[in-house]
Amino acid sequence: MISRGILQQKFRNAIRRWLRSCAAQTSPLSPSPVVSLGNSSYIGFSSQPIVSRYAMAPFSMVNDKLMDLNIPYTIKRSCFSSHALLDLPASGIVSIPLAQTGEGIAECELLKWFVKEGDQVEEFQPLCEVQSDKATIEITSRYKGTVSQIIYVPGDIVKVGETLLKMVVEESQGSNLTSDAPDDMKSMGAEVCDSSIQGSDLRNSNTGGVLATPAVRNLAKQYGVDINHILGTGKDGRVLKEDVLTHAVQKGLCKEPSSLSVNSVEHFQGEEKYSHTLAADGWQYEDKTVPIRGFQRAMIKSMTLAAKIPHFHYVEEINCDALVKLKASFQEENRDPEVKHTFLPFMIKTLSMALSKYPLLNSCFNEELQEITVKGSHNVGIAMATPHGLVVPNIKRVQSLSILEITKELARLQQLALANNLCPEDISGGTITLSNIGAIGGKFGSPLLNSPEVSIIAIGRLQKVPQFVDDENMYPASIMTVNIGADHRVLDGATVARFCNEWKLYIEKPEQLMLHMK
Amino acid sequence: MTISQTRNVGLPLMKLVRWKGVPILQQLHLEEQLLRTSSENWCIINDGTNDPTIVMGISGKPAQLLKLDSVLNDRIPVIRRYTGGGTVVVDCGTVFVTFICNKDAVPGLQPYPQPIMSWSSLLYALVFRGFGDFSLRENDYVFGNHKFGGNAQSITKNRWIHHTSFLWDYEARNMAYLKLPARAPEYRVARDHLEFICRMKDYMPRSVFVDRTIKAVETYFSVRPVQLEAMETNLNSKFSHSTKLLTEQELEAAAFESHFEKGLSHSL
Repeated sequence: MISRGILQQKFRNAIRRWLRSCAAQTSPLSPSPVVSLGNSSYIGFSSQPIVSRYAMAPFSMVNDKLMDLNIPYTIKRSCFSSHALLDLPASGIVSIPLAQTGEGIAECELLKWFVKEGDQVEEFQPLCEVQSDKATIEITSRYKGTVSQIIYVPGDIVKVGETLLKMVVEESQGSNLTSDAPDDMKSMGAEVCDSSIQGSDLRNSNTGGVLATPAVRNLAKQYGVDINHILGTGKDGRVLKEDVLTHAVQKGLCKEPSSLSVNSVEHFQGEEKYSHTLAADGWQYEDKTVPIRGFQRAMIKSMTLAAKIPHFHYVEEINCDALVKLKASFQEENRDPEVKHTFLPFMIKTLSMALSKYPLLNSCFNEELQEITVKGSHNVGIAMATPHGLVVPNIKRVQSLSILEITKELARLQQLALANNLCPEDISGGTITLSNIGAIGGKFGSPLLNSPEVSIIAIGRLQKVPQFVDDENMYPASIMTVNIGADHRVLDGATVARFCNEWKLYIEKPEQLMLHMK
Repeated sequence: MTISQTRNVGLPLMKLVRWKGVPILQQLHLEEQLLRTSSENWCIINDGTNDPTIVMGISGKPAQLLKLDSVLNDRIPVIRRYTGGGTVVVDCGTVFVTFICNKDAVPGLQPYPQPIMSWSSLLYALVFRGFGDFSLRENDYVFGNHKFGGNAQSITKNRWIHHTSFLWDYEARNMAYLKLPARAPEYRVARDHLEFICRMKDYMPRSVFVDRTIKAVETYFSVRPVQLEAMETNLNSKFSHSTKLLTEQELEAAAFESHFEKGLSHSL
């Protein structure tokens, strides 16, 4: 049994012999005898430059895990012997398990196969149908490849996680590489780059583009390396961070002279460190892909619709001193610990009073039928920012609710919204929307309509600003800026202005509310 | 009509087919065809089917689920449908509601059995609000702990179907064709059929149910009724249906096998 040390020495000698012959520009040597590197055995080295370049590393830099990881793989890749490559298809076989179908189901019955052994399968192609409890479900393929072995037959019960079938997943095809062994050995450095690039190109051409996370792509960009030229060592040929770093190091090595001195090794070491430092930085700028779900998706849909509507915006300032006093007095008289008085319910009620006088703002426009429907109920929607996104539940029939009832209903909707428990009825049927963006901040906003409504009101934050009274006397006043967005196909500036004046009157002089109360 | 249209601007379109008394085999054929060949969203409501029929799930074995002697004697048709789930006896007292949707038709809904089941229960909660103690129990619709609606689904690459048979009314003697199933929900606790199920007519009028269902659907979809004759759907298609009416020979063979096995086990 040859010990590893002796093997390494034999190998090193073989390499040195070859290098000398290379420098003399002679024809390629005959293949060296079979040697073992770790667990891999190779029948021959028809592309010795690559072997030599990497062979140095494990013996001189045993501690460098990075290179250790890379070398056996790279040598394999560069070994243009068909026998060695016969091993590759075995490593290309993937077991496809019965995946979790999004619930706690432990097993399914296999109903039928859509494919058979030997069939070519595309990504997302249906493979089989299973039954779990009440549902029949089509299982589709994650990979593109060939079915190599079907494990179960229709009628079998398959546990979740068990292998359903095995597939040969397409990656670099071994046979393609045989013809590409470079015959001319000009400079070792060039050979290293060329061969690895060739290998990568072939791999790339087979898969049509590399798999890599955005962070890894970013890293490759930082180094100025083409990610498509990098050999991936991850699952399915995925390019990993280590692969990019190794490739960058290789490129650095490529530029080095061919002498295998200690200096070059040190330089290699040095570059390694450098690349590691950069890598650490690289991880900080990771892009993140956010899937569009739930409220976000609804927002995209409704805002896309809103973009088609000709908006105009009307801005007004409202003096809320009286409202501040009113709220304070409500709170003082409040005996119910469940109830917390805020400005919003009063604004909602006064809004409804103004709508009674200007009902056109409480309507819906149907573009197809070119019809305006003036809505009978004042269903006032309140925009709410929840952890799940923007949602607009509405309070139904505000005109028949008291301010206290509105307060309670608002609290109920707010709680449900935060818990993501609103039911469809809560968020449908709105006729006008109020957006209290001032609760978060800002002077005023420029709101977009909540189609098919024709008006929306954004309320800014209450700000204490100096106001003039008659001759130059100043007093502080709580001023709130509102911005009314309106559909110009239905409403004109005059109508909105008058409506706003009416609403402003109720807020600035709450006693007027009593005058019109029924 | 105007009001519902304006409310539904922005919602995905769903075509509504309203039938009454259409044979369940034709309904199932249409459903499967729409699931596999259409790219639109559909709602099919069949208010009662014509003759009493037994409908098993896709992997249903007649000998295990049915009292075959009575079934054969009374010449009750037996269908094996293309969706999973259990066995039901349907007749003119059964109301069928089916949803066939593209996988992204309902925003945020994942195309898996449980999420679809949950979403359907939200929809029906709107329908039954104020009429009974409605809930989704395991995979059934119940009032309290009595089942009145059974569900089944099929999920393909880009679409899914969820259909329900509602027991508005039933005849006790029809239930007698079904054996106690080996696979049953836990809440059933080995109750026999008549103890386990209840009649929807004790809770709400039939037409009210259909109208409220359509209204509930309108909160998710822009509903457009379409006229579709049951007969013409089958004549023109070359589509190969999975739903099959079992022949008398098949049922007899199943009955024979089961008698034979019983005989064998006795002799041993």
